[in-house]
Amino acid sequence: MTTALLDDRQVRRIAFGNRLSHWDFKLSPYLYVSPFFILFALTGLFPILYTAYVSVYDWHIIGGQGDFVGLGNFEWVLGQEKFWLALRNSFSIFLLSAIPQVIFALIIAAVLSDNLRAKTFWRMGVLVPYVVAPVAVALIFSNMFGDQYGLINNLLGRIGLDPVGWHSQVVPSHLAIATMVNFRWTGYNALIFLAAMQAIPRDYYEAAMLDGATKLRQFFSITIPSLRPTLIFVIITSTIGGLQIFDEPRMYDQSGQGGASAQWLTITMFIYNQGFGQTGGGQFGHAAAAAWLLFIIIIVVGLINLAATRAIASAGTRNGK
Amino acid sequence: MTTTQAPGWYTRRKAKSAATNKPGILGYAFLTVVILGALFPLYWSFLIGSGDSSTITKQDIDWLPGGNFLKNAAAVINEPSVGFWKAFTNSIIVSTVVSASVVLFSTLAGYAFAKLKFKGSRGMLLFIIATMAVPTQLGIVPLFIAMSQWFHLSGTLLAVIIPALVTAFGVFWMTQYLTQSLPDELIEAARVDGASMIRTFWHVGLPAARPAASMLALFTFVATWTNFFWPFIILDSNNPTLPVALSLLQSNYFVDYSIVLAGVLLSTIPLLILFAVAGKQLVSGIMQGAIKG
Amino acid sequence: MTVKVSRRTTATVVAGAAVFALVATGCSSNPAEGGEDGDITLTVATFNDFGYTPELFAEYEASHPGITIKHNKAATSDDARANYFTKLGAGSGLADVEAVEIDWFAELLQYSDKLTDLSSDSVDGRWLDWKEAAATDADGKLIAYGTDIGPEAICYRSDLFAAAGLPTDRTEVAALLEGDWDNYFSVGEQFTAASDSAWFDASGAMIQGILNQEEETLESKDGEVIATTNPVVKDAYEQVLAVSPELSAHFTQWSDDWNAGFANGAFATMLCPSWMLGIIEGNAAEVTGWDIANVFPNGGGNWGGSYLTVPAQGAHTEEAKELADWLTAPEQQLTTFVQTGNFPSQLDLQTSEELTSITRPYFNDAPTGQIFSDRATAVTVAPYKSVKYFPVMSTLQDAITRVDVDKTQSADESWKQFEADVAALG
Repeated sequence: MTTALLDDRQVRRIAFGNRLSHWDFKLSPYLYVSPFFILFALTGLFPILYTAYVSVYDWHIIGGQGDFVGLGNFEWVLGQEKFWLALRNSFSIFLLSAIPQVIFALIIAAVLSDNLRAKTFWRMGVLVPYVVAPVAVALIFSNMFGDQYGLINNLLGRIGLDPVGWHSQVVPSHLAIATMVNFRWTGYNALIFLAAMQAIPRDYYEAAMLDGATKLRQFFSITIPSLRPTLIFVIITSTIGGLQIFDEPRMYDQSGQGGASAQWLTITMFIYNQGFGQTGGGQFGHAAAAAWLLFIIIIVVGLINLAATRAIASAGTRNGK
Repeated sequence: MTTTQAPGWYTRRKAKSAATNKPGILGYAFLTVVILGALFPLYWSFLIGSGDSSTITKQDIDWLPGGNFLKNAAAVINEPSVGFWKAFTNSIIVSTVVSASVVLFSTLAGYAFAKLKFKGSRGMLLFIIATMAVPTQLGIVPLFIAMSQWFHLSGTLLAVIIPALVTAFGVFWMTQYLTQSLPDELIEAARVDGASMIRTFWHVGLPAARPAASMLALFTFVATWTNFFWPFIILDSNNPTLPVALSLLQSNYFVDYSIVLAGVLLSTIPLLILFAVAGKQLVSGIMQGAIKG
Repeated sequence: MTVKVSRRTTATVVAGAAVFALVATGCSSNPAEGGEDGDITLTVATFNDFGYTPELFAEYEASHPGITIKHNKAATSDDARANYFTKLGAGSGLADVEAVEIDWFAELLQYSDKLTDLSSDSVDGRWLDWKEAAATDADGKLIAYGTDIGPEAICYRSDLFAAAGLPTDRTEVAALLEGDWDNYFSVGEQFTAASDSAWFDASGAMIQGILNQEEETLESKDGEVIATTNPVVKDAYEQVLAVSPELSAHFTQWSDDWNAGFANGAFATMLCPSWMLGIIEGNAAEVTGWDIANVFPNGGGNWGGSYLTVPAQGAHTEEAKELADWLTAPEQQLTTFVQTGNFPSQLDLQTSEELTSITRPYFNDAPTGQIFSDRATAVTVAPYKSVKYFPVMSTLQDAITRVDVDKTQSADESWKQFEADVAALG
């Protein structure tokens, strides 16, 4: 409309500006996401794909790339008794940490969701362990869990109980390591649950109170069902984290080998030992194959979790209505 | 996998507090026990760390701290094989750079995914979310080969920093936040005023992203500070980060636990200070949908 | 929740941090490069305690202007080994002078092309023959300088001996323990009958003591792993585990419990290579009863001992070689023996007056110089250790641990698993 009043040069300038602005509009989004994708491709994607390449070669840390061996490395890893023990341990430590952690976190969240005085103080209080590094946690606890002279067995002895073989036995060693994980993450998960609890509409509780439901009853028939998605989320993230556990078991004793009968050897420790460790180290082909196997296991467990999420979530909405 | 957490952003605004229950004395007592449990291991470290080498082996536990903490702390700092100050500055450098980089790139990408329309954005975002399930261990062998044999960065901080420059979680987190909390009208208004894309990002996107960005920075800082696996592989006693230095303390000649646990406390103090200053933010960060780093 | 930070401040902080970090990492990426003109920093990496004090290095720095020495005293021998191979594979990151323990020395010998040739006139005839022979590769290249050896004696708690009615004087104890392993164990039975403490610290140490007296143990000289078929190994395994229920304190060596056991009087004796003295003192500073007897079951035995190597990847291999030469010269080795008890592998030193006159106050003023000089003479066998020695020995130690410490398997079960584990090592 106003262009009629403008001379030729001005028209051209605006058109050029429009073209620039058009390209600006088109290209900018790609420009903004590209730094992430470029860096991610180099530091995230490439190593994963290259792991697949390494896993089909005989590859030594010093000797470098050797002969093509096909699936030989995978066969080798699957034939190792220690791999299966490590798998057992990883799952067991995961279960021993995830289950009590979720239950305990739920209870803490329920108490925190009450109308407390000095809310922030309590919330921050339960989160303190989160800032203690896993290595530091492991150094503190591995000593407390000493078999002959540890604090815990000392205290058990005073109340007349037999000492527990926290390092020598399979299940106690898993319990000890799970304790370290729980120490660090329970408060964190409690806060996630707390957030989800606060999102539950108040009417639900008011209606329940009118029906004369007790607090405990309300917790189980309103709070828990409403938390299902969050529960599943917490369980999935702790599965991924739990199956990768390394710091705590590695620092659980001086040698970091997971015990004489691989009592607390985890999959990540197995991968580390194959690639960089003390006995039989330097076998990059074996380490790469084991890493891929771990990835596949995590995907499988993840898919099972996803299926469970769907089933439970849909069941949840049906019941909820 | 993480979409379940998305409600966090807006549900908090919607429902203020579900419970009007006044907690009984039992609730306070329970929380007190929980917090004591959370603090006990740190107190235990202080008990041992303020004693001498024989404190740990005594079977009659003395529940009051000894007077040697400063002496033991000095022993940690002066132990040449550990290089505590070096580890300390290294941890600060690595955590700061990684946090800054993650926040910068995540905000840029998150803004694009949340507010700009472009071809393939949905697919890209799904891809990013999917990669969050990939274990870090999967790539260590090639990372090691690349960092040490190709680029000769083994033992340097760059070898720790480079692989951590971006995280899928950061992009996901910023996308979530900006989608919920930055109204499209603001962007359109800026565009109508003739602002270029980058000006719009700078004047509208960035300010809106600030609360989430500062939380992302905090979480990345804590996660990087406490990270052990990769630094342990690629760094050595010459140039460690704090967790790597701690692992060296334990495996020394004979283990003097008063010194080990003094070191544990020393390495934790910076984060405890950060926690005292920004603990509230960490709490609200988690409650708004943080995910284990 | 809102943080009020101006945009400018944020940007400045981010940029500042990035620059700071890049400068800092850039600087630290080349720790070996010196700052001033011609100045060189040499890194020495050791493990456990080599007795290399700051004063010792200061002495070298004073006589070699322009050289600064940095000492990384890292970890146990196990950790040092993992680090060594990782960095050798990386092609960078090793110290200029790196210590190597005898048990994984042969493994390193495979990569002698990555190490500096250390042959030099100044070191001819410096070491025991077997010590030097082990450091020479197939082409006759000397790749390492010997530091110490580990001649073994028996350390004992005289206070616990007294309480159990055994003699406490170190010559009497030596006479009592003179003989074979059976004798050592049967005195142990006598002791445990009269005491609550165990006789020895760890079964893992015992089997190491026994096997270190044999020519061929885990590997044969033609390079085969014979650990599972060699009767010597099986016999030692059975002998140790037969007595362990009664005599052992059921510790894994180097574990927290083992460390605590020194001060708590958990055991009365232990096999004592010279380098163990410092460990005992460190772990049980307040205990007064530790002493040393000039005796070892079945004659002499050597446990451990180390070398210094100069990796070829270093920037200053010539200077590093000179330093390694100096560090392993008799004068310095004498200083470190006083410091930690690491017994020199240098021939001249072993019978010298300076060494044999040394005593150690903590061990009731025991003449440690004379004792270990005698113990070194008693060593007649240098066990053959090759490429697989270290991993197979770790596996054997695990087998012992399962029975003696964890008590999760019988000796037979654990042996079967040992066979499988060795096969899996490939």
